[in-house]
Formats: sequence, structure tokens, C-alpha cells
Amino acid sequence: MPVSADRFSRLAALKPARPSAAGAGGPRLRPPDQEDLLAQFLGAGVAENHFGEHLAIRNWYSTPEYAEPSGVTLELLSRTRDELLSRKTRAVLEDASRWLFLDTETTGLAGGTGTYAFLIGLAWWDAGGLQVEQFFMRDFTEEYSLLQEVAVRITERPVLVTFNGKSFDWPLLENRFAMTRSIATPKLAAHLDLLHPARALWKLRLGSVRLMELERRVLDRERLGWHRSEDVDSARIPEHYFDYLRGGPVAPLAGVVRHNQMDLRGLAALFGKINRMLSEPADRLEEYESLDLFGLSRFFERRGDSTRAQVACAQALASGLPGDVRVRARKELALMARRRGEHERAAGIWEEMVRDSQDEGHACEQLAIYYEHRAKDFPRAIEYAKLGLAKVKRQRAASLRDAHDPALAAGFARQEKHFIERLARLERKARPRSSPAPRRGAPGPAEPKANPALW
Amino acid sequence: MSESLAVRGAGEARAIARVREVLDGFAARDHNSDMLTAIRRFPAREAQWAGFPEWVNGKLVSAYTAKGVSRLYTHQAAAAAAVHSGENVVIVTPTASGKTLCYNLPVLSAILENADTRALYLFPTKALAQDQLAELYDLNQRLDNRFGVFTYDGDTPADARKAIREKGHVVLTNPDMLHTGILPHHTRWTRLFENLRYIVLDELHTYRGVFGSHLCNVLRRLRRVARFYGREPQFICCSATIANPGELASRLLESKVTVLDSNGAPAAEKTLVFYNPPVVNRALGIRRNYINESARVAQEFLKRDLQTIVFANSRLHAEILLTYLQQANPHLPGKPETIRGYRGGYLPNERREIERGLREGRIRGVASTSALELGIDVGSLDSVVMAGYPGTIAATWQRAGRAGRRSGSSCAVLVASSAPLDQFIVRQPDFFFGHSPEHAFIQPDNLEILINHLKCAAFELPIAPDERFGDVDLPDLCARLAEAGFLHLAGENYHWTHEAYPADTISLRSVTSDNLVIIDITAEPNVVGEIDFSSALVFVHEKAIYLHGGQQYHVEHLDFKERKAYVKRVDVDYYTDAVRYTQVRVLELAASERGNPSVTGSEATDLNLGPPKSASAHSHSHGDVLVRSQVVGFKKIKFFTNETIGDGKLELPENEMHTTSYWITLERPLLELLSFSVSERQSGMFGLLHGLECVATLLLMCDRRDLRTAIGERLSGAAARDDASVVVRREDAVSTNAREFFEPNLYLYDAYPGGIGFSEPLFRAHDLLVQKTRELISSCECRWGCPSCIGPVGDLAPRAKEAALAILDCLCA
Repeated sequence: MPVSADRFSRLAALKPARPSAAGAGGPRLRPPDQEDLLAQFLGAGVAENHFGEHLAIRNWYSTPEYAEPSGVTLELLSRTRDELLSRKTRAVLEDASRWLFLDTETTGLAGGTGTYAFLIGLAWWDAGGLQVEQFFMRDFTEEYSLLQEVAVRITERPVLVTFNGKSFDWPLLENRFAMTRSIATPKLAAHLDLLHPARALWKLRLGSVRLMELERRVLDRERLGWHRSEDVDSARIPEHYFDYLRGGPVAPLAGVVRHNQMDLRGLAALFGKINRMLSEPADRLEEYESLDLFGLSRFFERRGDSTRAQVACAQALASGLPGDVRVRARKELALMARRRGEHERAAGIWEEMVRDSQDEGHACEQLAIYYEHRAKDFPRAIEYAKLGLAKVKRQRAASLRDAHDPALAAGFARQEKHFIERLARLERKARPRSSPAPRRGAPGPAEPKANPALW
Repeated sequence: MSESLAVRGAGEARAIARVREVLDGFAARDHNSDMLTAIRRFPAREAQWAGFPEWVNGKLVSAYTAKGVSRLYTHQAAAAAAVHSGENVVIVTPTASGKTLCYNLPVLSAILENADTRALYLFPTKALAQDQLAELYDLNQRLDNRFGVFTYDGDTPADARKAIREKGHVVLTNPDMLHTGILPHHTRWTRLFENLRYIVLDELHTYRGVFGSHLCNVLRRLRRVARFYGREPQFICCSATIANPGELASRLLESKVTVLDSNGAPAAEKTLVFYNPPVVNRALGIRRNYINESARVAQEFLKRDLQTIVFANSRLHAEILLTYLQQANPHLPGKPETIRGYRGGYLPNERREIERGLREGRIRGVASTSALELGIDVGSLDSVVMAGYPGTIAATWQRAGRAGRRSGSSCAVLVASSAPLDQFIVRQPDFFFGHSPEHAFIQPDNLEILINHLKCAAFELPIAPDERFGDVDLPDLCARLAEAGFLHLAGENYHWTHEAYPADTISLRSVTSDNLVIIDITAEPNVVGEIDFSSALVFVHEKAIYLHGGQQYHVEHLDFKERKAYVKRVDVDYYTDAVRYTQVRVLELAASERGNPSVTGSEATDLNLGPPKSASAHSHSHGDVLVRSQVVGFKKIKFFTNETIGDGKLELPENEMHTTSYWITLERPLLELLSFSVSERQSGMFGLLHGLECVATLLLMCDRRDLRTAIGERLSGAAARDDASVVVRREDAVSTNAREFFEPNLYLYDAYPGGIGFSEPLFRAHDLLVQKTRELISSCECRWGCPSCIGPVGDLAPRAKEAALAILDCLCA
């Protein structure tokens, strides 16, 4: 996608040095009252609108740095399958000044009408860094004015970037807006939820893809500019808020505000990382961890970019994968080849798999299919079907003996049945039509028609 | 002759003849006429007709006409008119009188007039909602699918839910789903709530006791949420015949409700027969086993190819009856099965298949629990056999109504067990035929129930200062919930401040909302059914024989943590019955009254045990109790002979329940007056309790399952240590626990957590209760006691009946 001159000018606008504190946009904040310990403690100002007031906390950070999104990345992130985006949506999506990172802190994870977002953190690229603005309600009475402010911000920047926002933060905010019966839910132009790509890319290597885990093991922690050593335990966040409401200490809330800031910055940094990875040219892939590459390949595959999926998968295998993942990667690579019509290449991979592994019913089955239907080499097909049957039989016996897993055994039994049926069919096909026991009712004339080429 | 009877085919006329043949057969065997204690014929009744009201949308009239409904019964027209004029109504009609039209007509007409209109239909079970869905689909097709109708319950796929919330004009659901799935997420249902005009409550009579008390609170929440969206929906209720439908409806809805109880539907001739199994041992008062007899009666009908439903009062009995009937009507290879079982716990698809089989006549006989008592459409059956009195007059009529729903030729037979209530009913049929059906009680302001729903309400919307929620001091309750950390006062309103989602932890029907799945591991694992948590302890404990679809399964392993029971198919000649152990402790005394003096103070002090007794030696009380019960073992019982052939011990978790109870305390001086041995005295107490329970259910006109009994010891001289009671098991009382004196409390307690309001009426009716119990026992013809007065003699010491009467004499003195 060509980079337009327009984009360069937008970039330039994002570049100037750190703006003044007032430059964050939005209405001017009133300094808090002397006795408002919480506001003093958080360094917050009081925001006001016709619904009342709430606290606002504004900060600008030089890290993470602005990351120019590539067209390919946006395309892959914003669509769930391979449907095409409308031109209007695409235009808004490509305009990084319309992006809004969002993360909420809530009174619980249950959802429903009784869960509140008491702290809503927003962030956007500004002056080459990240402008963060957080809205906090000191009590439930301040919810409407807080939501009103959030609605204004979202209307200005209607492309939402979140981590798990599609199933948590955004439905929760929709609920909150609906509960006001007076503030309309702002319309989003697009919503990029980074949880899904993160899960595809790193679940295999990390097991967990919590944002903190990603910061530690995927992002360059040294360069992030913050550290989580004194971070609050996120499971206790609702409790801190409830304690505060009942007159408890304000200090833990400062921790919550800081936690939310770090999550927003982590989100922005994560976007940069995913962005880079998705737009990496093929020759640079070898710098990545092999497990991540396999994840990348699966992500490409799922979002309909099979060419790059195949490249990433091949690279992952070339860089070396642990045993069980290697089997899966080969399986996928072979299936991708087959889907593209490269049947010999697929067969080659399956044959490698059969050579390398004790338990490879799947590859045997695929090879039996290949030799039966593609290569028309029935003896080879029979050979693989027999081999597969033997392997599956052994696996079934083992699953009953060692694992006591009747469900697993039932699966093997099914596979066995398929092999037996396949073998019977293959042997029928392979049998010369002139065999000594011709079928009754199907006499002579069939014989001359038998195709000698099959033999 | 009414239209529907006139069009009846010749085949059905023959069915009448065959029903008569069976009845004549019984009569011929009934030499002393003490077997058939009542044969009541109810003549056919003609339909009373009315036209469609003119305000009904023309397209709807055409759709109904195309279905063959070209005019209305008078009660349908009256219901439609009352709904049209904006009243809340409750329509009281027997089974199969076209009640669904009563609500569909005004609701659909309103939707056709204004496509924004929305309606919510509530059914007590998912199965009933499915049944109505089919009817509404049919109408909708005739109307070119002008409206959206969907069921919304636990089985609704997640991806369909959004469309239902937007496009459902009529949403069919159940109270549980409304409670956990809809109200706490009302913002997702804005479209529905902003346009909610009608709420239909079908099978209203099922909402009694604890379920009704919960539902009343759910409705409070529903109206509250509707008000938030600016709506005051109108209610249309349908109920089977009970004594107080109007009172129940207005208590549930907490507003004025118009009762419509005239019935314009035609009815076929129907015969109701009371059948008392013959006595085989007069001295012991033993009659032929009623389950076996029910199977025999049912077989008489089945033999003549009359489609028959057999109702049992428990799952176990339904399965035993199924076994017997399947043996008598073996499944022929290549033919469909003609005899099936039906109860909760069968998987939904299996149930739909059985219902279809019944409608189409493929299935000739079905053994069911109360599950088929409700208005599930299974077509018209020829005969009904009830194995045991269903417990209430209302349920008896409900079940009898299953025969000849649409046309003539029907017969219902009630086969009495030897339980006192059954014997009372069949021996004095005039009581049954002369009495109104039962009252349905609810106690929506039961604090335990109300507070739970108040939490849910606060979760749904902050509680405003001027709100009302039941008949309680709301600001005070909110303040208490705030202190406990559930709510927080911000400005004027109380907001929910807890991480939990309160509706998830509150079940409307039982203590736990968990289900266990039952997995057959004979071959490849296969889920055969499900069972709720508390029933699981009774039916699928380890080593139990679990009966499902007539097949016996041995329970191999019960995994509580994973909520799974693993079973294997077996073929044995016995079934198992769990032994329960119950302990009652008094938590708080609400009121107590001493009986008339029967022992003097000086005599009591002479005994030099415990504090001196006041003038009388017995008292009766009511109050809050804690009931602990546990399944401690099981018995193996042989099929057909019913002998106990073995038993086993079990270690299972205990169930705890707070409820209310009425109890009688017998003090030592009273007991000392009785010239009986310890075990005779104790047997007498159990016998007395047996009789008390029977009379109490009659006096309260409640379902006998609503009330349970236990005997606990009031520790002698333990007044200072509160009324802690230790349990006395019948076996212990008779054999091991042969201490000279213990002062027992005889408890009659509500079988629901929190209680549903029986204790106080019993306390007030104490004198009558004791007097009637004395009449029941003294007038019984048996010598030593029998199941019909103080319980089966086998479980009791000799002279138990005398002892029971002697205690009653003291209580009545």
C-alpha cells in the first residue's frame, strides 16, 4: 500500500516535542479542593460538565514510541475473516490520530448491570509519545459525568484499541451508557482487540497471554520505561475501590491508577510489537523464536493469508520446534501445501513424518489417500493403510493400558475402522479384474475394460 | 351432544366400550364392594360458544379460522375482553380447555396492530415453553411470519441470543432464566423492556411454596426493571383448579387481578374410580402392594389396546412400574417400543420423542412422575392410573384430566397405597368429591428469600429512597446490607458493591442449582440422564441401582467434584432405597404454650431430675429450626416380593436447611404416667407422629411433601443449654437407645428452606390436630397398628397403638 503524502504530514503533526500540560486536549481542569486527599494524592484535577464532576488525571509519556501501523497489519487485525473493509472504515482506521487505547478498572469481572467501571483509562499517540487521560469516579454519583466525558473522547477518536475489550470492557461500557438512559453509546468506527492476535502468536510459547506476561517475555522490558515490581494485584482492585468508598485508605487507589497507566502503555507497546511482526518481510523472520513463528503462521492462516502462513510455518520448522509442536507444524504445512494443489510436496512432508514418528496414523492416512486418488499407486496406498492400521492399533492398546482414557481409545477405534474400510476398498480396487473368482452377475465383458495402466 | 363428541369416530366409541369392560371386570372381582370404594361418572358437557370480538385483528381471525377455530368458547371470549380492557387476569380452567388461546389471541392481536409490542411468556419448565413454541410457530406461518417468537433458556445457542433480544415479539422463557439471564442483563434487552406490554404466567398453580415465594420476588424485580424503561406491563395468568387462584395471583402480582373461572369448553364423559387394593392380612392391616396393583390395573387397559398413562409419586416408583409394564408388554424386535417412561432427568430430546410417540399413538403406555401432570401436549389418552394418591385434590384432578383431553371415552383410576392419607381419601370418598382443591400458599416476605432478591434487585438498578420491595422496612434492610458490604449509599441511592453476580448463587427451586450428569460406562461412555444435586444423594449414591428407561444401572462411582455419576448396565432382581437420617435443632422459639395440667408440681419435683416441672408435662411450640439430613445407607429390596435382601452403609455429605417447625414436647412426668416399656413408648411416639402428619396435611390442605417429620430428644434438664436435640432414629429408639427417659420433641417442619408458613397455622390448630389424630387412630379397625393409622406394624413394638393413644389422651386431657 503506497504511503500517501497526507500521511507524512500527519506524522509530522504527531512529532513535536512534549506538549504543555494543558495541551492534552479536553476541557480545562479545576484544581482539587484542599481537603480532597484522594485528588491530591493522585495528582488529579476536577473535570466538570452538566452531569456533575469527576476526577481526571493527565500524563504524557515518551515511551512507548509512536509506531506507524502498516496497511497489512491493520487489514489483518481489523477483520475477523477475509471480508473486505469499507473504504470509509479503512480511511478512519489508517488515520492514527483517530485511535484510542482504552482500558477500564471495574468493580468485578461478572459483567451485567451491577458491575461498574470506576476508572476509565484512555490514551492516544501525541507528539511522538503517548498521552494518557484517566477518569475516576469518587462515588457512584459521579458516573454520569465521567461517562459523558468518555463519550466525547470516543467520538473524537472512534477507533478503539483494547486488550480483551471486545468481550469485557466495551460490553461493560455499553451497559453503563444504557443504564444512564440519557447518554447515547458512542459509535465506534472499528475495534481492534489485541487479545486475539496475542493469543495466536504467543500462547504456544508462554502458556498465558496476560498483558504482564507479554510485557515480561515479548516486549523489550528494559526499554519500556516502567516496571511492575510494586504493581497492585489486579484481583484485589474491586476490593480497594470498595474499601475507599467505605472510608478506607486512598493509597491503594494510587496503585490502581498507576496499574491502569501501565496497562495502557503496555497496550500501546504491544501494538507496536504485533505491528512489526505482522509486517516483517520473509527474510527477516529467522530472527524470531520458532514457536512464535508457528503462532504467526497460524494467525496468518486463520485470517486468510495462506502465502505468508506457509512461509512462516516453513521458517518455524527450519528454526527447530519441540517434538509435539513439530508434528503439528508439519501437519499444517502439509495441509497448506495440499490446499494449494502442491500434492507431491505435501506427500513429501507426510513421508518425513512417517519416518520420524512412531505414532503417525494421520500421515499414513493422508498418504494412503494421496496414493489412492492422486498417484493411483494402489500397492503403495495399501502399504500405508496397513502401516497406519498397525500404528493406530498399537496406540489404542497403549491408551487403554496406560492412560485408562476410554474417550481417547474410542477415537482410535474410529480411526481403526476407517483404515479397515479403506483397506478393503483398496484391495478391491487393486485386485486384477481377471481374478479367479469373478463376481456373479458381472461376467466377462468387464475384463477387457480393466485398465492395465493401474498395474 | 356437543360438537366434539358428535364428530367422534366409531373407533372411539369402541374405546368407551372397552373402558366399560375393564370397569365391569373390576366390579365382578369386588365381592364385598370394599375394593371399588367410589365410581363417579361425570357426564359430558356441551360447549358454549361466542364469536371473535370485533377488535381482534382480521388477519389473526383468518389464521385461527384456517386452523379450524372459527369461534371461541365463552371463557376464551371473556378472557380476551378482560385483557383488552387492560385488567390483570387469571383464567382458571381444567386441562384441555383451550387456555392458550386466551392469552395468544389478545397478545398476537396487539402485536399485529403495532409491531413494536413485546410480550414475555413464563412457563415453569423448558418443556412447556417448547410445547407452546410449536403452537405459535404454526400460527405465525399462517400469518406469513409477521412476528418473531423464540424460546430463551439455557439451551438457547449463544449466537442466537442477540437476534432474539432484538427481534423477539414473543419471548418464551422460564422464571430461572428471567432471574439469572435476563434481569441482570436488562440493558441487553432494552428493545423488549421499552415495549413490554404483556406478561403471561402459565401454570400459575405451580408457583406455590418456596418456588412461588421466589417467583413473587422475581416479579417484583421484573416490574421494577420495566418501570425503569417506562412500562407497567399487564399480566395474563392461567391456573389449574385450586382453592384460591385469585388470592394466589394477587399475592404473586401484588395488584388487583380479575378471576375468570367459568368454563365454556366441552367435556367428554369421564369416570373416576377409587381402587383400594384388597386386604391380605387383616390383623396386620396389610393390603396388596399398590405398585403391583397399579401395574395390574394398567395392564387391564393396555391389554385392550387403550392408551394409558400411569402416574407414580416418585421417580423410583415410575421406574419400577415401567419395568413391570415392559415385562408384560415385551418389546418386539423390529417394532417400536410401546411402553415408555417419562420423568425429569430424561434428556430433552428423548422427552420430545416420547411426547410425539404419545400424540401419534405409537406409544401405548407411559409410566410417568408428575412431570406429565402439567400441560404438555401428549394428545388424548384413554385411561389414567394413579399409583397412590398424588397428595392433593388439585393434583388428582390434574392427573385424571390427562384422560380424554379432547374427546370422550375416558377413565381414571386412583389406586390407594396403605398410607393414612390414601386410606382416608378412598375410604371416605365424599371428603374428596365434596372438598375444594388445596390452597396455594406463598411467603414472599420470607426474609431469607427476600434479601436474596433484594441483592439481585440492587445489582439490576440502584435502590432509590422511595422504593418499596415487599412488605418490609426497605431502608433498614438496605442499611443492613450496606453494613455487610453488599450495598453502598451514594447520594440517595443504594448501589451494588460486591464482585459477585448475586443471581448465580440463588436457585429458585432447590438449595443448590447444580446438576449431575449420569454417564453409562458399560461400553463407550454415554450420557444417559441428569439429576439435581440433592436427589443425587438419594438415587445415585455408590452401589445404588439406578433405574432409567426401565434399564437397571449399578452406580460405580459418584464424583461430586466433577458432578458426574458413572454407572454400568446390570440385570439384577432388586432395587435400592436410600436410608435418610434427620436431625432437628431449635434455633429460635417464636411461641410456646403449655398443655393442660396433668401432673402436679410436687410429683415432678420428687423425681429429682432436672429443674422442677411446672403444672403440665407437655407443651407445643413453633419457631425456627435447623434441619440436618444425611443419607447414611441403603437397603436392597427384591422386585415383586419387596423383601429387604441386604443393606449397606454410606458416607455422604450432609444437607442443611433452616426452616420453620411446629413441635410437641412430651416431658418426663407425662411419660412416667404411661405404663409401657421404653420401646413401646418410643414406638408409640413414632406412631403418633405418623398420625399427626396425616391429619396435619389434611388440616392445612397442603401437599404432603411440603411437610416432614422428625423426633428429637430435648435433653433432660437442658433448658439452660437451649433446646439442642439429638436425633433419634427409629431403629435406635426401638433397640439400642434404651435409656429410661428422654424428653422428645415431635417435629412437623416445612420442607423448604426458610419455611413457607405452615408452622404457625399448625400451632394455632394444635387442639384440633391432636383431637383429630386421636379419632383417626382410635377409629382404625386394626389391632396392633397398621399403615393407615400409626404406620406398618412391622416397624413398631407391640402395644404401640395403645401407647400412642395413651399419649394422645394425656395431650387431650
